[in-house]
Amino acid sequence: MFIVGLTHYLILAAVLFCCGVFVMMTKRNAIGILMGVELVLNSVNVNFVAFDRYRPGGGFDGQIAALFVIVLAAAEAAVAVAICMNVYKNLNTIDVDRGDALHG
Amino acid sequence: MSNYETYLTLGVAIQLASFFLLMLFGPRLGKPWAGWVAVAAMASACGLATITLVGWMGEIENGTAAALTAAAAHNQFHWADIGKMPVNIGVKLDSLTVIMYFMVTFIATWIFVFSVGYMAGHSDEVAGKSKFHRFFCYLSLFAFSMLGLVISSNLLFLFIFWELVGLCSYLLIGFYFDKKFASDAAMKAFITNRVGDFGFIFGLMMVFFFLGTLDLDGAARVFADQFHSQAGIFGREYDINLLGWHVSSVSGTTLATMMGIGLFCGAMGKSAQFPLQVWLPDAMAGPTPVSALIHAATMVAAGVYLVARVFRLLTPEAQMFIAAVGCITLTAMALIAIVQTDIKKCLAYSTLSQLGYMVFAMGCGAWIAALFHLMTHAFFKAMMFLGSGQVIEGCHHEQDMRKMGGLMRKMPVTGFTFLIGVLAISGFGIPKTDIGLGGFFSKDEILAVAWDRAYMWDEPIEDHGGHHADIASASAFQLVSFSPDQEHGDHGGGHDEGRDTHTESAGEHGDAHAAHGPVIEQPHGKAAIMAGVSALPRWMFWCALITAYVTPFYMMRCWWLTFMGKPRDQHVHDHAHESPMMWFPLVVLAVFTFVCSYAIFRPLIADAAVVASDAVMVVGLDGVAVPSNDPVARSEAAGAFIHLHEAHDFLAYAVGGSWLISFIVAFLIYRNGLEVGAKLKSAFGPIATLLERKYYFDEIYGFFLVMGCRAVAQVCRAFDTYFVDMLANLSAKITERFAAFSGRAVDAYVVDGVFNGIAATSMDVSDVFRSPQTGRIRNYVLFATGGAAIVILVLLFIDGSSGPGVVLGASGGG
Repeated sequence: MFIVGLTHYLILAAVLFCCGVFVMMTKRNAIGILMGVELVLNSVNVNFVAFDRYRPGGGFDGQIAALFVIVLAAAEAAVAVAICMNVYKNLNTIDVDRGDALHG
Repeated sequence: MSNYETYLTLGVAIQLASFFLLMLFGPRLGKPWAGWVAVAAMASACGLATITLVGWMGEIENGTAAALTAAAAHNQFHWADIGKMPVNIGVKLDSLTVIMYFMVTFIATWIFVFSVGYMAGHSDEVAGKSKFHRFFCYLSLFAFSMLGLVISSNLLFLFIFWELVGLCSYLLIGFYFDKKFASDAAMKAFITNRVGDFGFIFGLMMVFFFLGTLDLDGAARVFADQFHSQAGIFGREYDINLLGWHVSSVSGTTLATMMGIGLFCGAMGKSAQFPLQVWLPDAMAGPTPVSALIHAATMVAAGVYLVARVFRLLTPEAQMFIAAVGCITLTAMALIAIVQTDIKKCLAYSTLSQLGYMVFAMGCGAWIAALFHLMTHAFFKAMMFLGSGQVIEGCHHEQDMRKMGGLMRKMPVTGFTFLIGVLAISGFGIPKTDIGLGGFFSKDEILAVAWDRAYMWDEPIEDHGGHHADIASASAFQLVSFSPDQEHGDHGGGHDEGRDTHTESAGEHGDAHAAHGPVIEQPHGKAAIMAGVSALPRWMFWCALITAYVTPFYMMRCWWLTFMGKPRDQHVHDHAHESPMMWFPLVVLAVFTFVCSYAIFRPLIADAAVVASDAVMVVGLDGVAVPSNDPVARSEAAGAFIHLHEAHDFLAYAVGGSWLISFIVAFLIYRNGLEVGAKLKSAFGPIATLLERKYYFDEIYGFFLVMGCRAVAQVCRAFDTYFVDMLANLSAKITERFAAFSGRAVDAYVVDGVFNGIAATSMDVSDVFRSPQTGRIRNYVLFATGGAAIVILVLLFIDGSSGPGVVLGASGGG
């Protein structure tokens, strides 16, 4: 019988992570990039929970860390959206390639 | 510290305080309050001086004065060390200090009062700023310096104050510095005094080097010791080397004489003695109160005061030099005064002549007579100067006597007080009685001593009989029977007698004289030194005597031309007036000319003489030299009238009526104005011109000294232009060339290259680092991810068995 083990969770997390990174790399829309960030964060959450589950000795440390990440993501999303709105106010668009005033 | 020292020091400090007050707040005090501040300071010092004077006379009555003097000499404040020699500050407290202090403060007070009135009528603005406060500021500084000079117990401090009064004199002569002649006169006075002070400092150096102390008493003590033991300065011959070449050698005695003459040089400058007399007449460019205070009564007398203070350091030869200088001055300057037409200049030459009398008296050894004349002269000359100031002020700044005349009705008080001054300076008095003004007695004393020194020197003095016969014989020995060829150790019986007197009195008054120790150790210091003195050349006596006829003549001429006869200039005459603040001081000084001169000054100075100068030549004028420790003898000397009967008999006939005769001559010549005088002048053509040009001294100095200085300056200038400038230009050229080379080669290539290279490299490097900074989030994410991937791959390849393997292994285990 196919047993879902730690490896599978890790593979899932890796796939999610790669998707997130890929979105961040390819999207020009700021909101899209935010979504990519969410994917990355959630892939980490999966890792936390999975390691917690398969860790010898038990405990809830990984789950708590995941909760922290979720809270953090929410806060981060709020800040990020606010930044997006400011970017839009200034540039009339949320295309992040247009916001390259700090390039070298 | 006795009260007297405190009073005297306080009086000096008050002047300094007044000076600072006026310097800082003078402009705010303004006219006339700045003047009243100075007057108040001076008056308080005068009050202190009066208290001291009265108290001191009491001390002399009680016989405690000598002890106080000695106590003051011991009460010194250690100030500094020069090498191993300590320099002490202290108050020289003796009768001379007290009387001099009183004289200065009293005269200065009234002159300050006069000044307030005098300056009120003067335009004193320069560039829109009033100089009123500055005048009184300088006067206060002068008062401080002069009083400091009087109380100094140390030659170094005396010198410091000496220079300070010189500075004040400079500042005050040049008070109207916006006028060329005033600033010129100030410079002339200052530079001429520098010449004298050069000699003074030379003498000070010798005192320091040979005597090892600058304390007045200490130096005199060491000097006397060295003379007695023929050690120190008297010890050996000294070689004079110039640039390594032996020039000559001098005996110690000659060196001691040079020391005395060096010290006297200071007095020659300050008291304007021949040949440094040129500055004093020009100094009349200053305001008239300054002429009265500084250039008649006090500062110029400081020279005589200095000679009095260093009297014990003078050898017979030095005294002879001093007498000669004084004699030349008193004669030559009196003759110039005859032809002067400027009222102030006339008084200035009269001052010079009288200073000559004082210096001549010092040279003769007539210590008391010189200082007595100084005191009497200070009062009446200050008064006459103030009178001339009143005349000048009243006559619309007219100083030419030829334009005056007939001012008696317009200025009765001034004219009358001036007449008193004229009488006093002329020696008004009735011979063989006690009736007479101060000048009569003081000049008579000087002439008496001069006669004694000129005619009686080699003969033993007759016994005067009476109760002081033994004193006379003891002292006559000291004075007279020392003939030049006698060795000083080989004393006759007279000396023993003197010593006995001294020993007895020391026993009787042990307490008083224990403190007076030094004098006991060397009671005959100055007397022994003076043993080698030779008779005065007779021409000196005759010069002084004839000048006694000249003085009343020019003074009467001055007074008559100014106050009597018909007005010669209606404008001046109409303008003439008196103001109360100015004539009141005149009256006070006139009263003092009457009262004080013989009653107070003479005894006090006599007391100072016995205390301060080892009681030697000083009392010579009486023919009585007293041992300084003998109270009976001292009181004799203090109260003594003139005992030199023969001298005074002779002088009564010779000069007793000089004032009357000369007055009559002056009256006959100037009775009707200037015509007779002008005729006489043309009759005496060349001589009159010589006198009018002041013996061509200014021209001679102008030619030899000023032109000499200019010639030296020209040489220096040529040296500067051609040699120094050449060197400077050469070095400039070299520098320029070198700079051009370094600018073109080193700077352009080496220095610039280094800096440009650094800059270019920085640019290149930064370009490399700039290129990844695209500003695009995608790229940054790519870099971050790529970087992480590289790290992971590296970890994997570095250690394949651990790292990811563990994770995989663990997962495999799960």
